[in-house]
Amino acid sequence: MPIFDQGYQHWNGPLAGHAWRWLAITRQGVRAQWKNKAVRFSVISGLFPALILSVMLIIYGLFEQKSDLLTPFLGLFQNLPDAIKNGPRAYRRDIWTLAFHYFFTFQIFFSMVIVLLVGPDLISQDLRFNAIPLYFSRPLRRIDYFLGKLGVIGFYIGLVTVAPVLLAYSLGLAFSLEFSVITDTWRLLLSSLALCGLIIVSSGTLMLAFSSLSRNSRYVGAIWVGVWILSNITADALTATVKADWCPTVSYTNNLLRVREALLDTATAQENLSKLVQAGTDQVRDAVIPFPLNKVARRRPPRPPGRPPSFLPALSTYSWTWSAGVLGGLFAMSALVLTTRVKSLDRLK
Amino acid sequence: MLIELQNITKTYGPIAALSDLTVSVPEGAIGLLGPNGAGKTTMIRTLLGLISLDHGSGQVLGRDIRSQRLDIRQLVGFAPEDECLFPSTVGVEFVAYAGELGGMGRKDALQRAHEVLDYVGLGEARYRKVDSYSTGMKQRLKLGSAIVHDPKLVILDEPTNGMDPAGRDEVLELARDLSRNKGMSLLFSSHLLPDVEAVCDHVMVMGRGKLLAQGKITDLKERHDREFEIRVKGDQTLFSQALNDRGINAQLDDERIRVILKDAQGPADIWRTALESGEQIRSLKPRQSTLEEVFFHAVAEAV
Repeated sequence: MPIFDQGYQHWNGPLAGHAWRWLAITRQGVRAQWKNKAVRFSVISGLFPALILSVMLIIYGLFEQKSDLLTPFLGLFQNLPDAIKNGPRAYRRDIWTLAFHYFFTFQIFFSMVIVLLVGPDLISQDLRFNAIPLYFSRPLRRIDYFLGKLGVIGFYIGLVTVAPVLLAYSLGLAFSLEFSVITDTWRLLLSSLALCGLIIVSSGTLMLAFSSLSRNSRYVGAIWVGVWILSNITADALTATVKADWCPTVSYTNNLLRVREALLDTATAQENLSKLVQAGTDQVRDAVIPFPLNKVARRRPPRPPGRPPSFLPALSTYSWTWSAGVLGGLFAMSALVLTTRVKSLDRLK
Repeated sequence: MLIELQNITKTYGPIAALSDLTVSVPEGAIGLLGPNGAGKTTMIRTLLGLISLDHGSGQVLGRDIRSQRLDIRQLVGFAPEDECLFPSTVGVEFVAYAGELGGMGRKDALQRAHEVLDYVGLGEARYRKVDSYSTGMKQRLKLGSAIVHDPKLVILDEPTNGMDPAGRDEVLELARDLSRNKGMSLLFSSHLLPDVEAVCDHVMVMGRGKLLAQGKITDLKERHDREFEIRVKGDQTLFSQALNDRGINAQLDDERIRVILKDAQGPADIWRTALESGEQIRSLKPRQSTLEEVFFHAVAEAV
């Protein structure tokens, strides 16, 4: 019996427009990567800081309302400066900013781990198995291919950044029960989402560029670890020895952290809260460091004059535009590498 | 017209992959022949809009190869020569993914993948990982992914390379069925002339980036007025010898005798020889060139 006796039917179903073709690549990549236990573990681990962020915003919302739900925890708040106890709404934006600031410190770390797990295979595997023609012989543009691959990284980073930000913000809003929360913090929400976008685009394009450099995913992973860990070590070593302002910009993650400070405007929040130091360091510390960690913090020696309290974030001294410039340069370099390495099929066989 | 190219030139540095190529091809099953480096792959990439051209213009299925590349790829299915499969995917996922890349929804693509895999004879292997497939199965899988979106034109690049005879027959049978019964046009690029002859009714011969010959296979196979192929009931060798004794150039060729008549000779001399030697002629017909001869003749002329 001929093998085609099962018949062949012509197909006249609907087709998606060209604008969304990249989504197919993203969907396939997300499905494939989700089978990796390490990816699932990293995503779940990356949700713990989100949980802490949400709890913090919820507690502050309830605190603003003097909710009875906080009665069992009143001890935690009794040492707060009077200014905060009497008018918590006035410090809402600053407290939220610090909460998001610390949240992103952890999430940038988790993002690096997730990129390391998800990214190396994305283009490298296509090169290894000659799969590029599978894409470019379809109605896809190169930009669709890159967007689709970037979407895979974006999805997983989004799970530990965008989704928690939206969830925590919504919970903070819900537990504050005040419209003024939006007017106070909408900029913080937008800044956080912009930072998520920056992390996704910057780390995603960088990883895709690395992935296009080798057919071996392990080498790609090694390059990523090198850029991430070694650049941190180098930056620390240079900061300790050269002691120039530009030294921290050698570290990739330092640049993301520096842009985070600028986007979230942490400096303003830190300044406002520093003023409360006049009301007593312990009180402010107790406001931002949960019990029982605040007891440990109390044992530290008093801070030198002119420096912010140690429980407030130590902000960078160099301009954020330097970091933005480094990240922009890396993006341009990544785009160049991608366009050079993945050149459709316009080459002599 | 299926394909119309005008003065297409594509160079890679000093190498001209396509050189002022002009070709017009009707719908149907088209064979694309040519030695290595003839420009076949570059031409296929040109048709798919995958490369930027130095010069020239053209249409595939009425769409411009420069400005309507995505539209062309929507209407064309391509099975590349290389083994380009993701090793960890199962067959049905692979074909469904191809459908999704073509714009199908996930559900539609999966349903269609099942249908297509049944058609190409991989229904039983649909949930097996593709790296466990045999060479023939991989070729049929590539064919399946090329037709999942029901294209108007299917391009098969060396589809029978490295296959055993049974697997080769299956792929050729599928290609024939697609072009003759399913209303799809076919561009069949191959080094194997019998494969092209088995599937195609039209052929293009390329060499050094140029079109060397083109037309219906039946038209290209020249009928020779003074050359005949003869089969006799009795001993072919004896009859061949009898012809040679009469001054007729006769050579044994497989199960036949190939005869080349001189100007002063005619078919009547063959009949006369048979009568005199008491042999019975079963078949006597003018010899036709083989596709191989057409190919080598075209290539030799170009050199």
